[in-house]
Amino acid sequence: MSDGSIKEKNKPHKEWAAELKEQRPYSPCRAACPVNTDVQAYVGLIAQGRYAEALEVIRSVNPIASVCSVICHHPCEQACRRCAVDEPLAVRHLKRFALEKAADYRRNKRRLVKQTRDKKIAIIGSGPSGLTAANDLADLGYGVTIYERHPVLGGMLSSAIPTYRLPRETLQEDIDDIIAKGVEARTNCEIGRDITMNEIIDKHDAILIAVGLSESRALNIPGADVPGVLLAIPFLEDAAFQKKIELGSKVLVIGGGNVAIDVARTAKRLGAGYVEMVCLESAEEMPAWKWEVDEAVEEDIAISHRWGPKAVRRDNGRITGLEVVKVLSVFDSNGRFSPTFDNDTTSFIEADTVIITIGQMTNLSFLEDSQVQVDERGRVVWDPETHMSSLRGVFVSGEVVTGPGSAIQAVASGHRSAMAMHVYLEGHEIEGVLPTYEKEPIAQLPGDVADVIHREPRMKVEHLPPETRCSSFMQFEFGYDEESALKEAGRCRGCGGGAVVDTDKCMACLTCQRICPYGAPLVTSVSEIRSEYCQACGLCAPECPGQAISMVSYDVGEVRSNMSSLVGSVDPKRQEPAVVALICSHHVGIKGFELPDNVRSVPIHCTSRVDIIDLLKAFECGADGVAVVRCPAGACKYKDIETRVSARVRRTKELIHMLGMDAGRIELLQAVSDDGNPYAVVCADFSEKVKQIVLRTGR
Amino acid sequence: MIVGSQKPIDEIWEMVKDFKKILVFGCNTCVAICHAGGDKEAETIATLLRMRASQEGVDMQVDHTSVMRHCEPEYFDPVMDDVKKYDLILSTACGVGVNFLSDRTGIIPVYPGINTSFYGAVPEPGVFEELCAGCGDCILHMTGGICPIARCSKTLMNGPCGGTKEGKCEVSDEMDCAWYLIVERMKMLGTLEKLSEVLPPRDWSTSRDGGPRRVSMEHIRAYEEKEGEKTETAGGKKE
Repeated sequence: MSDGSIKEKNKPHKEWAAELKEQRPYSPCRAACPVNTDVQAYVGLIAQGRYAEALEVIRSVNPIASVCSVICHHPCEQACRRCAVDEPLAVRHLKRFALEKAADYRRNKRRLVKQTRDKKIAIIGSGPSGLTAANDLADLGYGVTIYERHPVLGGMLSSAIPTYRLPRETLQEDIDDIIAKGVEARTNCEIGRDITMNEIIDKHDAILIAVGLSESRALNIPGADVPGVLLAIPFLEDAAFQKKIELGSKVLVIGGGNVAIDVARTAKRLGAGYVEMVCLESAEEMPAWKWEVDEAVEEDIAISHRWGPKAVRRDNGRITGLEVVKVLSVFDSNGRFSPTFDNDTTSFIEADTVIITIGQMTNLSFLEDSQVQVDERGRVVWDPETHMSSLRGVFVSGEVVTGPGSAIQAVASGHRSAMAMHVYLEGHEIEGVLPTYEKEPIAQLPGDVADVIHREPRMKVEHLPPETRCSSFMQFEFGYDEESALKEAGRCRGCGGGAVVDTDKCMACLTCQRICPYGAPLVTSVSEIRSEYCQACGLCAPECPGQAISMVSYDVGEVRSNMSSLVGSVDPKRQEPAVVALICSHHVGIKGFELPDNVRSVPIHCTSRVDIIDLLKAFECGADGVAVVRCPAGACKYKDIETRVSARVRRTKELIHMLGMDAGRIELLQAVSDDGNPYAVVCADFSEKVKQIVLRTGR
Repeated sequence: MIVGSQKPIDEIWEMVKDFKKILVFGCNTCVAICHAGGDKEAETIATLLRMRASQEGVDMQVDHTSVMRHCEPEYFDPVMDDVKKYDLILSTACGVGVNFLSDRTGIIPVYPGINTSFYGAVPEPGVFEELCAGCGDCILHMTGGICPIARCSKTLMNGPCGGTKEGKCEVSDEMDCAWYLIVERMKMLGTLEKLSEVLPPRDWSTSRDGGPRRVSMEHIRAYEEKEGEKTETAGGKKE
């Protein structure tokens, strides 16, 4: 059946929405993500139970999605506009949930990518940046070889990040995706030891140096030499590869960053009875993420703030502790790191092991005999515009040139360098063509809108209790179950996924402006729906008399266009009436819909989007009855939608009555509670009523 | 704007039931604003007609489309080739649009999908009130901005009549007496004494009594002539 419109079909909704999103400010979560992951899109898909599609959105920009789902510092959450209402959306937990739910789909999709180009590429280092570049270049049809000095791929992800945060099987999911594409991995192969840089250069058409910052900075104070003083990275590597580590019973970690937290928590898990951190910064100034600090404190790790290391004290060679000096300030007036001390105030912290975690640096000694230049401060010379080093064809990416950062920032750098290598190998100019990921976000939520948004607490994830988790390297954080994930996904306000006006169709009638509960539309010569106000409820689109309003996050016509196949699936010789139920799925997702066989459900994200024409279409396609099922009282995440939805149902009753049909064939129902299967009960009751009507009046 | 309201589906069905291929053709200006005949209502009517055809066991194709206005040829020109593929056009424009389109569709009939009601305003969403009758000789400056032609049930020029009661018209308790409103408004404006002026009998030739009306603006027409080639090809030709 045609939809009866003779207007030219627009392009598929997905394509249209993707293009539109590029032209408009990004949702703040997406703009904040270093690779612009379309968070709003995949969270929306999760909310509808469409996990495989959510995975596709995530993976389209992030080849180490599983890694990020457990360790990302989630700048998306810090940018979330829900912060102005209650708490940010738990984006990272939702990502983990989607990846776990779609794991089989993902594994079944792994395929070898045919090498369509005869150019060979070497990637030195297999951290986030190197893996990303390998992934992208394999997708483009290049032959890619990764050189990794460790026995396993992953760089710091496998050799330093503790498994209680990043289980190796989680990392392996990402690596398996990339290797499946046909990327060759040469592990246990260190450049300069097993093969020279010049050999690599000779054998390949382009080379990427992505070796990261693999060495710890040492501390030049008296007594800070072996034995008993350890450096962070070798310590974490030994722990990761389960080598024996001699730790005393009182471990003191010098440093206040995220690596220092990893070191302290690892020491605790290796059996150190007492672990203390000492750092220059105050609690507020500490560079470690607050949540990681909190988790460390839960694990009974003490933190001494505003003390600077002065000397490691020893007695007969054995460490007795660290002499520290009071810090006056850490940063200068320009915010630069420039600590000052009160040399008259000192203290002594007892310890028998000291681990220095004050920063990392790179080791570029493998470049010594090559033409790749390294500057006087030991940094590789490069052009950030092209990612190229001083030697044509040799590129750099990740922390080795950007300095310390997050995994996802390294992914962004990896994407850029892969693109640079591709453009170079194609013989084009690189400058100006690399993606920037700098996008304008939608403005902050206006206060009057934040005030009317329903408060919904963030769904918490469970952690292993501190007393249990410190005895092993088991992952301490649990993921969401389906119910929690769907609830959490329902908290998303859909920034950037809301209403847009086709100005060619808008006659400035004011309907949308009058109807919007959030004051988003502003009608002048045409309507403009302001994205900072719009909550993507969809209430306006079915009211527009010119059908000029579309929604970015879904196709307003899809209920209508799918109706024929939906109702057509009911047995024509049926005894029971064919009932179509348009059900608000915000609170239960796809769960709990064990409806009677004769009820065909259409999950919709809110009944606000139901159009009179959708309802008529159901009857046109042969439904005996149509129900619009609202979520339980008090559960609606939007404001003031009831009046409009019930008015539409009343109008549909009038219209079908004009055709001689019993008006009772359509009803607006409300689920009875949020527990059990509240939708089935009301649908079954309604179905019975429709059955009586059909018996009385015929089909 | 022009206000219309949908015809009952039975009435439409009686008009269209013998046609096989029908286009419901919406107009997206005045009648869209009053939710009678815009793109959305055109689709709604098309759906109802398909359902009715199915109930009656009649084989009938009913589609819909719309343009911004039916009363200027440039707007419907781009879809005219498609429009002419139908046996019947059910226009949900106002009567102006139905007439205007009908002059340009040759052997294809154009039928009205709505009743064109009046010139009105929108005091609140979903409510439309007649405030002007288009009589062609405006006297609102003499009646406190309230039109007795449109708003008095008898179109009296010297009301109120004996049927006024507590500000309401004898036709209906819910209908304001226009002359009551005029007097109260002019009191407020301090211009009540204007009502004692004796006016000459009204010339109704500017209204319907003078036959169909036409406004010809020479200065605009001169412009159009210069641009003549444009209008010549813009669907403006009568058939």
